[in-house]
Amino acid sequence: MRHQGGQLQQMLRTLRGHGGWLSVWLLAAGWLALPSLGIAAEGAPAGPVEYRDIPGIGSRNIVWVIAQLHLLLAGFVLGVPIFAWLCEIVGWKSGEKRYDKLAKEFTKLLTSSYATTALFGGILLFLLIGFYPKLMNYLTDIFFPSFVFYCILFLLETATLYLYWYGWDAMQDGGKKTFHIFLGFLLNLFAFFIMIVPNSWATFQASPVVIAEGTDLARAWAATWNPTWWPVNIHRLIANVVLGGYICGAYAGIRYLAARNAEERDHYDWMGYVGNFIGVFGLLPLPFAGYWLMREIYQYNQQMGITLMGGFLSWLFILQAMLIGVLFLGSNYYFWLGITHRIPGSEHQYKKPIMTMLVILLLCLGVWMTPHSLVASLEEARKMGGTHHPLLGVFGVMSAKMTVANLMILVTFMSFIMYWRAGKQETATWAKVARSVMGAVLILAGIAVIVLGVWGYFVPAIIRINYFSTSQVLIVLFVMLTITPLTALLLKSARTTTEMVWGRMPPRAGYALVLNAVMVILLMTLMGYARSSSRVHWHVYGVMRDSSQYAFSPALGYAAAFMALNTFLFCMLVAFIFWVATMGDKGKATGYGGGEKGKLPHGVPAMAGGSPPRGNEQ
Amino acid sequence: MDEVVKLQLIGLTVVGLGIVILLFIRAQFARVIGFVAIVLGLFSLVALSVPQMASLPPAEEKFDIATVKTPTDMAAIGQKIFFSKGQCALCHSIGPSESARCPDLKGIGSKLSREFIFESLTQPQAYIYLDYRHEGQPKEYPARMPYINKNPIGLTKNEILSVIAFLQQMSGEPISVSPSELEVPGQAPSAPVKAGDSGPVAVAQAR
Repeated sequence: MRHQGGQLQQMLRTLRGHGGWLSVWLLAAGWLALPSLGIAAEGAPAGPVEYRDIPGIGSRNIVWVIAQLHLLLAGFVLGVPIFAWLCEIVGWKSGEKRYDKLAKEFTKLLTSSYATTALFGGILLFLLIGFYPKLMNYLTDIFFPSFVFYCILFLLETATLYLYWYGWDAMQDGGKKTFHIFLGFLLNLFAFFIMIVPNSWATFQASPVVIAEGTDLARAWAATWNPTWWPVNIHRLIANVVLGGYICGAYAGIRYLAARNAEERDHYDWMGYVGNFIGVFGLLPLPFAGYWLMREIYQYNQQMGITLMGGFLSWLFILQAMLIGVLFLGSNYYFWLGITHRIPGSEHQYKKPIMTMLVILLLCLGVWMTPHSLVASLEEARKMGGTHHPLLGVFGVMSAKMTVANLMILVTFMSFIMYWRAGKQETATWAKVARSVMGAVLILAGIAVIVLGVWGYFVPAIIRINYFSTSQVLIVLFVMLTITPLTALLLKSARTTTEMVWGRMPPRAGYALVLNAVMVILLMTLMGYARSSSRVHWHVYGVMRDSSQYAFSPALGYAAAFMALNTFLFCMLVAFIFWVATMGDKGKATGYGGGEKGKLPHGVPAMAGGSPPRGNEQ
Repeated sequence: MDEVVKLQLIGLTVVGLGIVILLFIRAQFARVIGFVAIVLGLFSLVALSVPQMASLPPAEEKFDIATVKTPTDMAAIGQKIFFSKGQCALCHSIGPSESARCPDLKGIGSKLSREFIFESLTQPQAYIYLDYRHEGQPKEYPARMPYINKNPIGLTKNEILSVIAFLQQMSGEPISVSPSELEVPGQAPSAPVKAGDSGPVAVAQAR
């Protein structure tokens, strides 16, 4: 070792002349190459190597960072095409060029992120093969056919993305545009499969099934179709849209803050609005998908469910509540800022409803964050009569949390509806009836959710989980599915009383968009840790035990430091990618729809709520 | 210095750095980085303020039969298993508890025979899966009893016998399990649990 150390010093001396940075990079590369030299290999002395490690840093820590960055990038890359494509369709159908430009801008961010995602995927694969040969060998044995399928999907996705992006300008008219839209559909189709195939590998680790004898394909298919596969697929699909939306919103927020002229301010204010809208649009059904996933986990294995919700990870859900609460508040705050700044004269009109919604959200957040049991000294516990607080303890149970989560979704939904309707006067003859129906639906739904929540205290958990909580979810979904089309119909013939003015948002709006994006990224890192830790000391739950020195889940504080680090690294990475991608834009005119003023796409709620930016009016 | 304190100091430094950037730097992108640093630092500090529990893998204690001389020795081992590898305390309490999801096991050793307890642990759905301790129709417990002898818990026969000894001792009953019943490794090896027979896998198959 001394000899090696001497060589190292000599190397460093040699490299110093070529610049310190080079030596740092080479050192880092050498450090990463250590596993290939078999250093710190674990396993039976005579048997095959089961684990490799990098002393000092730890193989798990490296995999944690790389896997998290890869997953976040993948989430963004798979989420963006969904709404880029939808924006393109809206632009195509409505004839509004600004939506087409926006879709193109989203896709530009996508193309530049795609290669980086693949790069991190490649690094992750090498690290996994290097650090966990036993596990990877086991998974390869089961999933080899899906590995092949995955590679084919990547080829198809890459080819489609090239055509979609590079053919954008060339395929603008007539049948070519239709073909371009079809390419967008294919892009999303392949992207969906690219997401669900690796999901099967990860979910198999958490909820393995019996793999009977049979062909390789049959075995791979049996393992793929495991109990948590579809819940995770749906949850991730929605979460990717949320992530993509909020990141695009944050991008617009930063560009808005740094805007140098009115045109830029208008454009990025509008883009921030669209990004936030997409984020909220996905955020509303996301808790339902999460609930379904948890339900499946409980049904699959009670112990895993208890480890998550009642075991050592129970405090994690208090952090989750905090992050989701801030996200809801941030999203609503941005809506409210929009109402008061983009719609002149509406400050006083909406002051009371906004204050009411704020109070409801804060109260709900308080209940959601109430822990089930408190950390108390013996004396404190004796005074309280247990580890539950005599008054607040009642809010620490799932019945209360499910109720407030549903109420927060309802409030956020109403916040959006309020924003959508602001500055417009309904002219339909049935408008009054429709408003009454919507009001009644909302009030009755709110009451029903609360009643079910309170009732939930007096019934066995199984009834609450199977019937009451599900009913609460269905009620909220019913509200959304009733009020959204009704509002769209109502506004179709509405008269605009106050034009929405873009580019007038205060700087804190930009920061709210950034905050929302950071919250979503943190949430993904937090729940990634939860998903991984729920397997406790198993690589494949109940089947293959983790016998490495890292067969433990670190405490929340340590894990949170990693989550924060990963979030920061991801933000910097995305900022760098976006900076590179938009480098050539400087100096170009921001001609998003300039001179091509069009009407708002009626009946398309996603893009509702705004007159075209000022640039369009010139 | 304690790891938590170290991390708290790092968190505070990050937040402080963010505040300094916001106060003294005018460049918008740097200010956004400062803002993000504050948010992430605060998040870490909150996470460090909640109870810090790591999830350690259950210690693979060697069941050294040579050291087990009396039934009381078995009960002592059983008590350790009850609160660690067996994960019994995750759902069961010993004495009344509001948070327990499954039956209170206080006095269970005097209510049930050792054979019945053994069967309840290894064939949990054979007879007992409903709660009759109230008026009217029996109810399902919030948590179902897992197969203790199968993965992921996977107690061996010796370990299960020790848990039974503990339950009997805790109930004030004479311990009916004898060290002579313990299987000596190598002489009467219990069949290894196959992947396909493990608990969650079996549950998934049933689905």
